[in-house]
Amino acid sequence: MSVRAAEDLASGDHACAVPVSDEQLWELTARFLSGGLRRNEKVVYFDDGTSEQVLERLTEDRMPVAATLRSGQLQVVPADVTRGAFRSPVADVRALLHSYVDGSVAQGWSGFRMTGQLSYGADAPAGIPMTAYDAALDDVVRERRFTALCLYDHGHYSQDQIERMRAAHREELSAPAAYDDGLLRITHTGVTAVRLAGEADHSNRPVIHKLITDTLDRALRSADAPTDIELNLASLRFLDVAGAVALVHAAEEFPSSHRLVLGDVRPAVQRVLDRCGAPFATQLVVREARQPPGRLPEVADEPHGPRERRLAEAGPADAEPEVRRPGTTGPDEAGPDAVRERPWAGVTDDDPHREPAAEGAAG
Amino acid sequence: MKVESRVPAHTRLRHVVEFHDGPADQLARAVAFARATVRRGEQLAVAVPPLVEKAVFDAVGHAGVVALTSPYGASGGSGQTTGATWARELRSLVQSDAGVTMLCGHDPAHDGVDGGYWTELDAALNVSLADLPVELVCLYPVWPLHLEVLEGARVNHPYVLAGGTLTENPEHRCPLEVLRGRERAAPLVLGPPDVTYRYNSWQLHEVRRLVARLAPALGFDAVRSEDLVLAVNEIATNAVEHGAPQAEIQLWATAGGLVCEVHDTGDLDEPLPGLTAPHPAEPRGRGVWIARQLCDLLHVWQDPAGTHVRLHATP
Repeated sequence: MSVRAAEDLASGDHACAVPVSDEQLWELTARFLSGGLRRNEKVVYFDDGTSEQVLERLTEDRMPVAATLRSGQLQVVPADVTRGAFRSPVADVRALLHSYVDGSVAQGWSGFRMTGQLSYGADAPAGIPMTAYDAALDDVVRERRFTALCLYDHGHYSQDQIERMRAAHREELSAPAAYDDGLLRITHTGVTAVRLAGEADHSNRPVIHKLITDTLDRALRSADAPTDIELNLASLRFLDVAGAVALVHAAEEFPSSHRLVLGDVRPAVQRVLDRCGAPFATQLVVREARQPPGRLPEVADEPHGPRERRLAEAGPADAEPEVRRPGTTGPDEAGPDAVRERPWAGVTDDDPHREPAAEGAAG
Repeated sequence: MKVESRVPAHTRLRHVVEFHDGPADQLARAVAFARATVRRGEQLAVAVPPLVEKAVFDAVGHAGVVALTSPYGASGGSGQTTGATWARELRSLVQSDAGVTMLCGHDPAHDGVDGGYWTELDAALNVSLADLPVELVCLYPVWPLHLEVLEGARVNHPYVLAGGTLTENPEHRCPLEVLRGRERAAPLVLGPPDVTYRYNSWQLHEVRRLVARLAPALGFDAVRSEDLVLAVNEIATNAVEHGAPQAEIQLWATAGGLVCEVHDTGDLDEPLPGLTAPHPAEPRGRGVWIARQLCDLLHVWQDPAGTHVRLHATP
């Protein structure tokens, strides 16, 4: 098995990943989806109660979530459809996948990629093992050259199920973290750039201080390293007072040549920093998040096309198997507008720092 | 629980007691004091019983005179909370002026069961106002219903004003000494809590989740909810950081907001935590101070079972 980053997966790839924490689950999902949005592919997320966090993380990663949802490039498949798929015969799911690819081709997207929270299928609600669905997915991926990422997180799958699904995949992704305790996840995004995701409190307090001193050491040791130590806090949802004080103190103890730069800071975290003296620390730069997260468009609850509707209504296993010729109907959720509108193409260059986490980790 | 209740070495507060013979005498002295203060052109802040307040405003008008928040409802009965609240209000007055003269009048309505409220209030003011240029004169009765009121007044005030003469008070003691051996009252007992949760250092995120889930339903907006989560987190953190490995949090969802208590089995080194902003170089002690700024009531008390904190916030 080789090691690649989620955003590097390309057409014909069908990989799995086993995230160690929820934060890593959101990170992997968002990076995989972002990779598709950037490649101008149709990107589909099969929801099962997790889309809110995924869309939030995409927003934190500065992806144009609202615009791509509007244009239909990004689509969230409702949970009842996701679940319905695993109550349907494998042939139906195969047909559904074909119809998605056909739809994305018809709408002019450069490809198709999918991932989602598919754990409903792990318990074989229709008596069909999940590996059978996965084998069908693998066939269609190879035949139609699209991209699929299967995520098996410990919160939704048992260890047995994870091992079984892992064995069925040719490729497994891993995104190494500098630190991940299930509450706080730290990833290096550059020599002197780090991203924090999750919550920082008393339980992981020593980590932040060590992280900053280690990063500063790296910067001081290499002559051409940047003099700004950058902490991206876009996905840091909670910082306690001691953590904020630690950041302020760390910056105050920096050599005068270096600065501590906190980027994309959420408003709640910003308020804690303000109350802990951040405005008075001359070597500390706090940059607010441009777009406060949490105001995402509502995701439609209704199944989109007739095929989705049918899956959403799929009864238990004994439902009459109906074989359809693949490719006869495409999803009809995105109108002709979606074909004309390419919002992503217009925004790629407006912000060179758009996706520091993904770019840094890829290198 | 280890927290700060130091009095800075350089005290700017001048805390004076003046004794009176009864309500009519208190009113007369208050009006005379207010007249003299306003005549000198000084900013006056008052915290006196309602009848006295009316008489003061009738006598000198509202220009240059501010009434501070009086303890009420669920926020009442906690001298340390009142001490923190007045410090916040006086600080904003001081910023706009050179200094403030404050008149505080004993009001038996706030005595509670034993009058200990006043002892705690004056001790708290000695800490929370220490670095402010405030001249604080407290009017106390010579014959209070609860003897504790008189005893507390005698030890908390560094100066006595009698017959127009200001003298140093030989009986004055620092807040630590005053509160040592005095049992600070537990707040009024509430009914059974809506939520009880035992937690350790690694479960603080669950504590935050409980509060984050409750707050919006009680009418807190998104920003207040986040601040409340922070306040509770700091108190809950303190309990497992300095107290015992395990602590307990109880939550009450009330029509008047969120009430929260945190109990640990640890000792309290310093009786009045979080009344002053710690020096920026001081890594500890800031959490309780910030929590006090974010809540309507934050009352810390101790009994043989350990240290307890009640926190109350209104939307």
